[in-house]
Amino acid sequence: MNRQQSIAIQLTNVNKKYEIHHEKPTLVEKFVKGRNETFWALRDINLTVKKGERVGVIGPNGSGKTTLLKIIAGITSPTIGAVHSNGKVVSLIDLEAGFHPDLTGIQNIFLSGLLLGIKRDSIIKNLHSIIDYADIKQFIDVPVFTYSSGMKLRLGFSIAVHSHPDILLLDEGLSFGDENFTIKARQTLGSSEYRKKTTMMVYHEPKQLREQCSRAIIIKKGAIVFDGELKNGTYKKYIKTTHANQTFK
Amino acid sequence: MKESITHFWELLWGMTEKELRARYKYTVFGFLWLIANPILQMLIIGFVFTFFMKEPVEHYYYFLFIGLLVWNFFSLSLTKATPCIVFERSLIKKAYFPRAIIPLSIILSNFIHFALAFLLFFVPILFLGTLSWGTIPYLIGATGFLLLFTTGLSLFTCALNVRFRDVNFFVQAILLLWFYASPIVYSLSQMPRDLLWLWRFNPITSILQLFQHALLGAPAPGPAMLASNITVMCIITTLGILVFRDESRTFDDWV
Repeated sequence: MNRQQSIAIQLTNVNKKYEIHHEKPTLVEKFVKGRNETFWALRDINLTVKKGERVGVIGPNGSGKTTLLKIIAGITSPTIGAVHSNGKVVSLIDLEAGFHPDLTGIQNIFLSGLLLGIKRDSIIKNLHSIIDYADIKQFIDVPVFTYSSGMKLRLGFSIAVHSHPDILLLDEGLSFGDENFTIKARQTLGSSEYRKKTTMMVYHEPKQLREQCSRAIIIKKGAIVFDGELKNGTYKKYIKTTHANQTFK
Repeated sequence: MKESITHFWELLWGMTEKELRARYKYTVFGFLWLIANPILQMLIIGFVFTFFMKEPVEHYYYFLFIGLLVWNFFSLSLTKATPCIVFERSLIKKAYFPRAIIPLSIILSNFIHFALAFLLFFVPILFLGTLSWGTIPYLIGATGFLLLFTTGLSLFTCALNVRFRDVNFFVQAILLLWFYASPIVYSLSQMPRDLLWLWRFNPITSILQLFQHALLGAPAPGPAMLASNITVMCIITTLGILVFRDESRTFDDWV
């Protein structure tokens, strides 16, 4: 495999600027006041993730972790810089987002699946498996507004899993408010099929990161301050100082 | 490449189905509303305006009905497409997909309504005896222009509305005026000749005239009118596509 093919995600010199709008700007104001207040959420991010790597991202609140995932997922574009991804990217950032409350479970599976980039035939083929996995067989013909939030999350996760992504993006640890399903989801992500996939996860707890990942990235104020193996001394030092109250081996 | 185009259409159709299903979900009369609405408008306007007309328009009720169908498609698409990105913010935040799918699916679902109502309307027209095979090119042209202009303008207002929410109010206000600035309740032949240049800036004029000519034998748009209307249409549509393409990359930052 040559170098190009073995790379899953490549970010070169990525910068992301947000305009701070304390209130929604109006068209008139824009021309009268001119430039808005701005804020750089990411600065000079250079990152290469190889196929099959599991990378954990950690850092303080508001440091740009979610923005980084959004840029990799293509949900938003960088102000400067380039993003390349090799293979299908699926983000599990907002699982229950995108369901239409008035449509039935089945209709929503089709809609959500298409939005995630699954082909129509493939949805038809996997329909039973999606419903079984989410464990909502009884309610599949009723409108989604009658679903509990746990059911919606389960359905969202089930669709995402059946989209067979090459690159998986996760924001924080998964929780469904349902012990059994959380275990099932963890098992799926830990299965041999998913072990081979490129995964990027955002964590708040270094303990979870240590269980799942081999490589860590620390982001502070929009810049990568550390990128390397967990064994590295700098990483250990950072975790010690920021998560002092937790035991770290 | 071919695969992504197929997926684009699958997704567009999926979203259009959603629009159609969700709209009439809990209504008793369902699709009947799409025909009842213009009929009621036609009856009221037809009754009132016949008292004002100096020289009556031939087949006035039919004339009105065509105008109202076309206008309802245009104004409904524009009012629904303008705030659509803001309404569908949860989709924007979920995944990457061509953002234009959202306004396009609204326009397509409205177009299906329009086409159905139009087919029903064809039955009484057949008895009127104004139709001929030669009208088909006019119909195709008119439909094409209508779709092109509605899409272009909707993309423009929809992309701008993400940042500047007053665009939505502006569109609502302008549509009220636009209705009277288009030959729906009147015919251009009733207007003073030296003011006709005013209608050249309004692309809806030619579209309406083409439909009225094709179905009722009303006068077709003159070459100058057609040419200037098409120019305005092309400018707005190009602008719409360019602005949407540019803005859609960062929709997520604003919703």
